[in-house]
Amino acid sequence: MPSATPVIDVRVRHAEHVMGTVVSFDVPASARADGSLDAAIRWLHWADRVFSPYRADSDVSLLARAEITVDGCAPEMAEVIAACAFIHDLSGGYFTASPGGQFDPSGYVKGWAVERAAALLSRAGSADHLVNGGGDVQCAGGRGAGEPWRVGIADPLRPGRLALVVEARDCAVATSGTAERGPHIVDPHTGRPAAGLASLTVIGPSLALADAYATAAFAMGPSLARDWTDCLDGYEAFAITESGKTWQTPAFARHLTPT
Amino acid sequence: MATAVGPRALLAAIAAGAAAVLALWWHSTLSLSGLGGWLTGAGEILGLLAGYAVVVLVLLMARIRPIERGIGADRLARWHAMGGRYVIGLVSGHALTIVWGYAVTAHASPVSETATLLTNYPDVLMATVAWFLLLGVALVSARAVRRKMSYETWYYLHFYTYLAIALAFSHQFADGAAFTSSLVARFWWSVLYLLVATLVIWYRVWVPARDFARHQLRVAGVRQEGPRTVSIYISGRRLRELAAEPGQFFRWRFLTRDLWWQSHPYSLSAVPSDELMRITVQDVGEHSAALASLRPGTRVIAEGPFGAFIPDRTNRSVLLLAGGVGITPLRAMFAALSGTVTLIYRASTWQDVVFQAELDAIAEARGATVHYVVGSRQDLGGDPLSPTVLRRLAPGLHRMDVYLCGPPGMTGTAVAALTEAGVPRRRIHFESFEF
Amino acid sequence: MRRAILAVTATVAGLVALLSFKTHSSERTVAAAQPAASLPPGERAITGNVADTAYGPVQVQVVVKATKIVKVNILEQPTSTQNDLQIGQFAFPRLIAETLSAQSARIDTVSGATYTSGGYVKSLQSALDNGA
Repeated sequence: MPSATPVIDVRVRHAEHVMGTVVSFDVPASARADGSLDAAIRWLHWADRVFSPYRADSDVSLLARAEITVDGCAPEMAEVIAACAFIHDLSGGYFTASPGGQFDPSGYVKGWAVERAAALLSRAGSADHLVNGGGDVQCAGGRGAGEPWRVGIADPLRPGRLALVVEARDCAVATSGTAERGPHIVDPHTGRPAAGLASLTVIGPSLALADAYATAAFAMGPSLARDWTDCLDGYEAFAITESGKTWQTPAFARHLTPT
Repeated sequence: MATAVGPRALLAAIAAGAAAVLALWWHSTLSLSGLGGWLTGAGEILGLLAGYAVVVLVLLMARIRPIERGIGADRLARWHAMGGRYVIGLVSGHALTIVWGYAVTAHASPVSETATLLTNYPDVLMATVAWFLLLGVALVSARAVRRKMSYETWYYLHFYTYLAIALAFSHQFADGAAFTSSLVARFWWSVLYLLVATLVIWYRVWVPARDFARHQLRVAGVRQEGPRTVSIYISGRRLRELAAEPGQFFRWRFLTRDLWWQSHPYSLSAVPSDELMRITVQDVGEHSAALASLRPGTRVIAEGPFGAFIPDRTNRSVLLLAGGVGITPLRAMFAALSGTVTLIYRASTWQDVVFQAELDAIAEARGATVHYVVGSRQDLGGDPLSPTVLRRLAPGLHRMDVYLCGPPGMTGTAVAALTEAGVPRRRIHFESFEF
Repeated sequence: MRRAILAVTATVAGLVALLSFKTHSSERTVAAAQPAASLPPGERAITGNVADTAYGPVQVQVVVKATKIVKVNILEQPTSTQNDLQIGQFAFPRLIAETLSAQSARIDTVSGATYTSGGYVKSLQSALDNGA
C-alpha cells in the first residue's frame, strides 16, 4: 500500500483522424481540462496543413513546385529541412526528404509532429502520457503507479498478433514496415522497394529521429541496417526479417520485460 | 440424316440456363433492403446474366454442326448480333449499379468508391479493361462504322471479345457474392466455360484441320458460266463423309498467296459426288473476281457444310424460286429433288441466266418444270412475281413447300407475294446471304 | 428499336420482381448490445462507432475488465448474402480470437507499420480510444 495519499488519476483517451492516419492520445484528465489536449490536436492539424504532400496548397507542395522559397514558408520548414539533411548524411543517403526527386519530408514530419504534440502536453504539466501517431509512439513518464508504458510491437507476418512487448519510459518507439501499406518504402539509391525486412523498430528519446532512423534502416535491408543501427548513439533497434527471423542491437534488451 | 438442333430447342436450353443462373443468385442472397441493397442486388444479377450470356454468344458462333444445321448460319448471326447488343447493356448496367450500390451502402461518393473498387478489389481492374474492350468491339460492329472498314479488319477486331472474356473471368470468382463462398457454384460455372471453350476449339480448329487432311481438296478447274459468273470445280476424296446436302454451303479458303487469309461462304451449285464438288460465284467483289484465275491444283480448306436451307423431302410438291445469283443452291436442290418440282428463275437479262442447258436437261430427265422470268419490270408489264403470276406458273402453290433464294429486296417482295398467294409462312424457306 | 425497348423493360421488370421477393424490410440483424446492468462487477462495455463498408455496416462492442478485453461482441454485420454469413461464421471469430490474444499482454498501445483505415480495425481502435 503506497504511503502517499492515493491520487485519483483519471485517464482520457482520444483518437484524432489527421495526416492520413489516426493519432491516439492517452493523457491525464487534467490535459483535457486545461486545454493542452486540444492545443496538441490543433498543432497536428496545423502541421498537416503545412506539410502534407497531398494538399496542393501546403508549403511542402508549393516548395516542391518551386512556387515559394524556404523563407516564404513557416519557420518550422527550415528546421525540418535541416534535420532531414542531417539524417540524410548520417544514413548514407538511405533517408531522403526528396524521394524520387520530389520534395516530401513526410518520413520525418510525422514523427516530429507527434513528438511536438507530446512536448506540448509535457509543458502543460502532464507527467505521464503517450501519443501514438499511426503506429509510432512518443511516451512521457509511464502508465501510472511507477510502471512504464507497455508497448506491443505488431507482428508483420501475422496480422492481429504481437511479436514483442517493450517497456517504454520517457522515450519513443517507431516501427517501419510493409504490413499495412505494402512495399511503400523505397531504397533511394535504386528506386525500388526495399527488400529483406518485414519490420524494423527503433527505440530512443526522440520520436522524430526514431521514426526517420527506422525508415532509413528499413530501406537499407537486413545486413546494412544491422551494422548501421549498432552505431546509432542512444537509439536501439529490433528487426523482423521476411522469413520471420529477428535480430536486435545489443542494448535493446534493456527495454524488454525481465522474464 | 445428321442431327439437327432446332431453334425452339436451342432457345429453350438458353432460357433454362438463364433460369439456373437466376436461381444461383436467389440461393446466395438471403435478404436485402434499402437503396444500396437493391442496387448491389441488381448489379449482382446483371453480372451473373452477363457472365452467362457471353458464353451463349460464343456458343452461337462456334459453328457447332448440329446447331448450324438446325437453325442456319444467317439466323445464328442475327441472334448473335442482337444478343451482343443486349450483353453490352448487361455488362454496363452491372458495372454502374455495383459502383453505385457499394457507394450508397458504404456512404461514400461514387467517385471514391470507383477508386476503391479499382485499387482494392482483386481483378476488378482487369474486368474494367474487359468492359472497355467489349464497348470498343460493339462500337466497331455498329453498322455505320462497320461499313467503313473491310470485312477482314472487322473480323479480326471481333476476336478481342475472347480476350475480354478471359480478362473478366477471374473477378467473377474473386468478387461475386454468389461465388466467393460456394465451391459448388464456382465448379459448375467453370464447367460451363470449359465446355464452351472445348466446343469452340473442336468445331473451329480441330474439325477444319481434320477435314483438310482427310479430304485433300484441290481446285480441279474453273469454267466461265456467264459474263460475270464462274464455276469452280473442287476435287477431293471421301467427300461423301462430309454429308453435304443440296442447299448447303461451305466456308472456302483458297490457299494462294493473295487469298489464303480470307474465308468466304459459297453454296454448292451441284449435288456433290464422292470426288467432286462445284461452287458457282458471281463477280461482285475483289475476292470473287480473283477466283476466276484460280489455277488447278490449288489447295483448298473448306469448313462445313453449313446452312439450314435443306429441302424437307416429305412434301412431294415443291417450288424453287431463284433470283439472280440465288440460283446457285437451288440448282443443286433442283437436281436432287423428286416429285412435282417447279423452278422459277428470275433474272434481269438473259446474260445473267446461268446453267440454262443444265436446268433444261434436268427438267426433261425428271419431269420437272422450269420457268425463266427474264427482263425488267417495264419489259414484263408490272410485277413479274405477283401472286397471280406465281399461282399461274405453279399450280397448286398453296400446297407446296417453297424454297426461295435471291437478293434481299427480291426475297422480301417474294415472301409477301407468296403469302398473299396462299402459301402458309411455315412452308416458305429462305436463307439470307448477308451475314 | 422497339425490340431494344422491350428488352430493357423486361429486364428492369425482372430485376424489380427478383429484388422485391428478397426484400425484407426492418429485418436488420442487429445483435443485442451488452446492457450495463447484466455485466458482472468490474466489467464495462465499450461500443465502437459504426463502420460503413461496401457490404454494409459493421459495429463492434468490447467488454473490458480493468484494462483487459474479456469479450468482443459483433453488434452489427452485413447479412445479405451467404458470403456475409460465412464471414460472420468464420472470419469474425478468428479476428476476435486474434484480438483477444493480442491484448493478453496487457499493452497500452501498439507500434507497427503505419495504418490507414479499415472497417474492423477502425472499429476496435475507436472502441479502445472511447474507453474513457
